[in-house]
Amino acid sequence: MRNPLERNWVILGIAILMAFLISLPFFATDYWITLVILIFVFTVYSAGWNLFSGLTGYTNFGLAWFIGVSGYVSTLLIADYGFLWLFAWPIGAIFTSMISIGVGYILLRIKGVYFAIAMVALTEGTRELFGTEYLTPITHGGKGVPFVAGIRLPTLYWSILLLAFITVLICYKVTSSKLGLRLMAIREDEQAAETLGIHTTRDKIIAFVLSAFFVGLAGAIHFTYQNYIDPTFAFNINLTLTPIVMTLFGGVGTVFGPVIGATLFTFIHEILWAELTLLYMAIFGGILMALILFFPQGLLGWMKERGILPRIRKI
Amino acid sequence: MLNFLEILIRGLMLGSVYALVGMGLTLVWGVVGIVNIAHGEFVMLGAYFAFWAFSLLHVNPLFSVALSIPVFFFAGVVVHRRITERLVKEHELSALILTFGMSILIWNLAQFLWTNTYRSVPYLTGNFPFMGLVFGKSKTISFGLAILITTAIFLFLRYSRWGKAIRATSQNSEVALVCGINTIKMRMLTFGMGIGLAGAAGAIISLQWVIFPQMGGSYISKAFAIVVLGGLGNIQGALAGGLIIGALESLVTQYLTAKMAQIIPSVTILVILLLRPTGLFRK
Repeated sequence: MRNPLERNWVILGIAILMAFLISLPFFATDYWITLVILIFVFTVYSAGWNLFSGLTGYTNFGLAWFIGVSGYVSTLLIADYGFLWLFAWPIGAIFTSMISIGVGYILLRIKGVYFAIAMVALTEGTRELFGTEYLTPITHGGKGVPFVAGIRLPTLYWSILLLAFITVLICYKVTSSKLGLRLMAIREDEQAAETLGIHTTRDKIIAFVLSAFFVGLAGAIHFTYQNYIDPTFAFNINLTLTPIVMTLFGGVGTVFGPVIGATLFTFIHEILWAELTLLYMAIFGGILMALILFFPQGLLGWMKERGILPRIRKI
Repeated sequence: MLNFLEILIRGLMLGSVYALVGMGLTLVWGVVGIVNIAHGEFVMLGAYFAFWAFSLLHVNPLFSVALSIPVFFFAGVVVHRRITERLVKEHELSALILTFGMSILIWNLAQFLWTNTYRSVPYLTGNFPFMGLVFGKSKTISFGLAILITTAIFLFLRYSRWGKAIRATSQNSEVALVCGINTIKMRMLTFGMGIGLAGAAGAIISLQWVIFPQMGGSYISKAFAIVVLGGLGNIQGALAGGLIIGALESLVTQYLTAKMAQIIPSVTILVILLLRPTGLFRK
């Protein structure tokens, strides 16, 4: 993209796409709006997962923990304390990122597979804890919280559109910044990176907390859209799995891979769900296996290898 | 006090079966270097194996336990040759994500084929009274079987030629290869053994608890807790870890609530990883 003319075309393309997406609620049916809302929710989840795991190589199997904690905080604020959604969402996300600083500080010294397991344990443990008798007065226990946030569908749509746009922008900025380079150095060889003077713990925590904030915000919006939350639903392993599949398909460690993956897989999910309700999870598992075995670099990685796209970090 | 003792012993019996599940996981992880998240699903398949053998063919469940070992051993060998051996040289997280996909594939297929109905094998109901304490027949026999299998695995790894070769592969695969050990074969054998153990554990579990397609999830989290407690690849550690988890679960269920007991594996994993990442028993 050194050619300034080419750069202008790209900006024009993005502007047209954004204009189309912003005006969508004026002409599309509710079905399409809800579908695109889901695309954006999963775009943020995937991009958020990729921002930490794709760059640092630490597999985060606890994405659902970010989603669930933030979803619960914002839901309880709306349902029990009468907060407006506009305030409840950011409070949920900020709360999640605040705890993530502590969690990251403690858990990010565990390496490799053990980190992945620790995150699963954290998610499972929190899920069980939220359903116990001891926390029932706060969390309403296992029976869940149905609620109405009083937000119109187009407003919800524009909020998640804005969030998705900002998340992708931040991912773009981080990936093409020095921080992104440092994170990738950690992925390639953490010890070597540390020897070269990279403050690995600090950088990992920054990426972890950024990821927690955006994923948490999307989680809060997701549950407002669903009008319901319960522990099994909020800390569901699918909420971790689906964004990983999407990111792997689009290309791990790329900026636009998660966006492409989320868009495509939301449609695939929609079709499979309608046609093969009982088998669709099994097919998802099969796709995940096939991706690791035959297509580990993802769509964008493959296109970069083939020379269809330039080999730069910014894509 | 009598009550406490009974609960503790029940917990240890429970733990011996958990140890069997954990042992398969720790063996595969330690020797092959693959973290098999689908391990719990093989436990589930083992349980269904015993169930269908009993309800369709009227096979004695104790015989199914014995039969499940070779059947699942070969299943494991095939899975390893076809799929997981390719990932041995890759980054370990690839295998983690792949087996995660495998786990989801297997339990959803099971759900599709056999529905969500809770099933059980009605065999060996009733109790053994023993010195004023009462123990379920099936639980006592399961305990015996679990200890028997554990001892057999331990002796095999300790004294047989293959066992020694497997341990050598686990210590340093390249040096083992230079010494003339066929490490590919050893990894295949170990993977088969791990899956065989999972299948046997599943068949034993079907004797005493309900079985359903999603049951693997609760066993895999306990198995991870056991591996972390006992130390990677450590068979005796896995046995001790299993007994600890079982006893804790039994005591917490009795004195707190059943919900709290489900938090034990997660808490154990987090605490041990942070305080003693090498496991409780350093070699």
